[in-house]
Amino acid sequence: MNRKRVGFFDLTGCEGCQLTVLNLEEQLLDLLEVIDLVEFRELMQDQAERLDIAFVEGSVVKPAEEERLRAIRAKSERLIALGACAATGGINRLATLHAPDHLWSSSFGRSEPLWEMGTPRPLAAVVPIDGEVPGCPIDGREFVSILQGLLMGQELEIPTFPVCAECKLAELPCSFEQGAPCLGPLTRSGCGAVCIRGGDVCRGCRGEVDNPRSGPYHRILEEHGWQVEQVLAELRIYPHQADGDDDAAAD
Amino acid sequence: MSAKGTARTSGSPEFAWRRLGHLELDLFVGSLLNDYQVFGVRQQRARLGYAEINDPSELILDFPPRVHSPKKCLFPNWEKLFRFRLGGKVLLETEAQIPPRIVFGLHPCDLHAVRILDDCLLEGEADSTYRSKREATLLVGVECQPDEYCFCTSLGTDRAVAGFDLFLHQQEDGYLVQPGSRRGERLLERYASRVTPVADPQVPRQEKRARRQLRFPVESLAPLLGDVYEHEHWTEIGGRCVGCGACNLLCPTCYCFNVHDALDLDLQGGERVRTWDSCQFDQFTQVSGGNNFRPDQSDRQRHRFFRKYKYLWEKHQRTACVGCGRCARECLAGIDNTEVLNHLFADQLAQETKSSPGAEYQPLLAEVLAVEQLTEREKMFRLRLPEPISFSPGMFMEVSVFGLGEAPLTIASPPSQQREIELVVRSKGGLTQALHRLKPGDSVGIRGPFGNGFPIDEFLGRDVLLVAGGLGLVTLRSLLLKILDRREEFGRVILLYGAGRVVDYLFQQDLKRWHQGDELDCRFSAREFAHQWGVTVGDISLLFRDLDLNPIRSVAAISGPAGMYRHVNPLLFQLGFSEERVFLNLERHMKCGLGKCGRCQINDICVCQSGPIFPYRDVRHLREAIER
Repeated sequence: MNRKRVGFFDLTGCEGCQLTVLNLEEQLLDLLEVIDLVEFRELMQDQAERLDIAFVEGSVVKPAEEERLRAIRAKSERLIALGACAATGGINRLATLHAPDHLWSSSFGRSEPLWEMGTPRPLAAVVPIDGEVPGCPIDGREFVSILQGLLMGQELEIPTFPVCAECKLAELPCSFEQGAPCLGPLTRSGCGAVCIRGGDVCRGCRGEVDNPRSGPYHRILEEHGWQVEQVLAELRIYPHQADGDDDAAAD
Repeated sequence: MSAKGTARTSGSPEFAWRRLGHLELDLFVGSLLNDYQVFGVRQQRARLGYAEINDPSELILDFPPRVHSPKKCLFPNWEKLFRFRLGGKVLLETEAQIPPRIVFGLHPCDLHAVRILDDCLLEGEADSTYRSKREATLLVGVECQPDEYCFCTSLGTDRAVAGFDLFLHQQEDGYLVQPGSRRGERLLERYASRVTPVADPQVPRQEKRARRQLRFPVESLAPLLGDVYEHEHWTEIGGRCVGCGACNLLCPTCYCFNVHDALDLDLQGGERVRTWDSCQFDQFTQVSGGNNFRPDQSDRQRHRFFRKYKYLWEKHQRTACVGCGRCARECLAGIDNTEVLNHLFADQLAQETKSSPGAEYQPLLAEVLAVEQLTEREKMFRLRLPEPISFSPGMFMEVSVFGLGEAPLTIASPPSQQREIELVVRSKGGLTQALHRLKPGDSVGIRGPFGNGFPIDEFLGRDVLLVAGGLGLVTLRSLLLKILDRREEFGRVILLYGAGRVVDYLFQQDLKRWHQGDELDCRFSAREFAHQWGVTVGDISLLFRDLDLNPIRSVAAISGPAGMYRHVNPLLFQLGFSEERVFLNLERHMKCGLGKCGRCQINDICVCQSGPIFPYRDVRHLREAIER
């Protein structure tokens, strides 16, 4: 089998997703036997001319990143968004809730821009993508199986059912029963309900399922005596379909 | 646990029961651990659940029904079906034997659930992956106490009399252990050998009280659902469901699964695995190309209920629900099976009782407008109906005289906008004699119309041959008048009519008019000689001589006494008529008109529902259709 040429790239993000890949450790070493890793800033300095698979982490924030992403797209057979920032805009999208000068002053103590910054956008707002590895950070096992699927030429498939299903399979107590509202019923599964397992609630980092049942969900919140808007405002760190895609739509 | 003081069940006499104190039970479990993989309920993370037991002290036998189902011990969520190697030649690896296992602490409902899994997975081509686990696993039941979500008592699953290897009956100082199989008894003999068998085992019969109940017998479930497929309640439920699949994933009998390949890291091999699936998930009914043939959550919820209570009931004569309440207990949207089913049942009951019982048998009153003596024996009645009816020629009414009963009578008049119909009554018994005494202005009871008439559309544009014997002309008159109404839409129309004597001819005015007119070709026969109208003397079959019809573009309608068909049918097929273009009027004594009483049944079909007008093709195979 010809080894596929695989590269990792990062735009604006915390690099936690690439770190998750590095944390695969022994599994990563095994994977390196079946791929040709040609570009990975966290691991090596090489740059490749052509790639079979490019994993791109982070959102497009700086104008220069847009150019960089287009260049990666141009040299890659398949381009996969790695993690929430790349797939949906992720946490970066919180910036859209505040005026730029507020962001500058609260983060850097000065209201003038330190560098040119646009609205944080997912990759798909700039270039067509071939799929995503959801999550913040990504799930290592899911990354491996997605990579394997890509190497085998399979259609990229991620779960379309909500986190609740994985919570039940893991026999975890329901957050709602514990008195804590949770975004699990709307959020794409595949994480193994890791946050609920860890004692937290789901905050929707993997994005919504393809067909989120927002109506029934809001009704459930109300039946539990919670204010829908308040709960969503508190839980929503990550962008949701209902937030509108004004500038997140692909060109 | 409320015990009904005196009622006691005797244990199965064929196996030796033993009483194990708490310490003896620990020793029993401890020694089993040497040879078996033991599963049971134990504390894990934040809740209790079935898992492997490594020490007898971990095993919990007194636990609430909330604990997730033990299904996973026999049918795990992630299950390898086989391993394969790629690279060059594909190699399929055989499976190692499943080590012997014991599952401790199945509540009676969960024991019943295993029988349902057996029904579903072992029938036909048995699922050998399930079977290997099932055969390698001993099941140990334990008594339980229902919580507010259980409704096992409505389904008869609150007790287990079979389906276990051992059953633990809780007693003050331990458990009375009942073997349910030879395997279970041997387990006791071998691993609790120092405990002597109990001579006359008696367990108090525990009264279980489940707060949730079905308010109707379980046998009514499948028919109930059959009647409520289109009920708006499904939309209501679908509008509440978030599609998380918890109901399926927690169900002890849901077994639908997905299959996919999980590859090794080196991509040189992998395993084909099955994982639990849910009919509530979006991709469950998705087919290639992106179409989804059960796209709506209402349809999915209905499907779940139908699977549980109708489809599998019809297949295996037990519901695929054991009333464990897990689906409702953990449904975020609060979809509750007993609530749903009771609601549907109550609603259905209300629908049925809206009209008083027996309403479908109760006639309306029609007014007699005119009475015409047709022959010595037959009278025709013109009735005004209390409400308009729509019918096709060949259909019939049930006519009542209170005190004497009811009789089916074919409608002799053609369909029209008027609320008037004509019926012909031959005076014979008490009822028809009473009808004959009716005068204009009198009332008569009437129900209908019933049955299935002539498909007029199939006659359009074709030549029509009508063959009537005796009273059979009543049915064909309705058809013929309908045809004459729209005469230009049909080809040639030929009427062959035979009776015993010319004086027996019905509708003599009509016959004369038709005979003299040029709208149809009439030919008559009478078995008794007469000098009238050029009537052929003899059987009606004589009228088939010189019949010049093109069978390809013709259709025939036959109506007469039972014996007539035996002679006439072969003549028609000799002429070249096709079986689907010959329509027969096969009247029987249709008592109820509702397809229920069984009086008019011809082999497996009810004349009052499927007939009395049939294409020959549909009744050819019925031995009772035509007198032989």
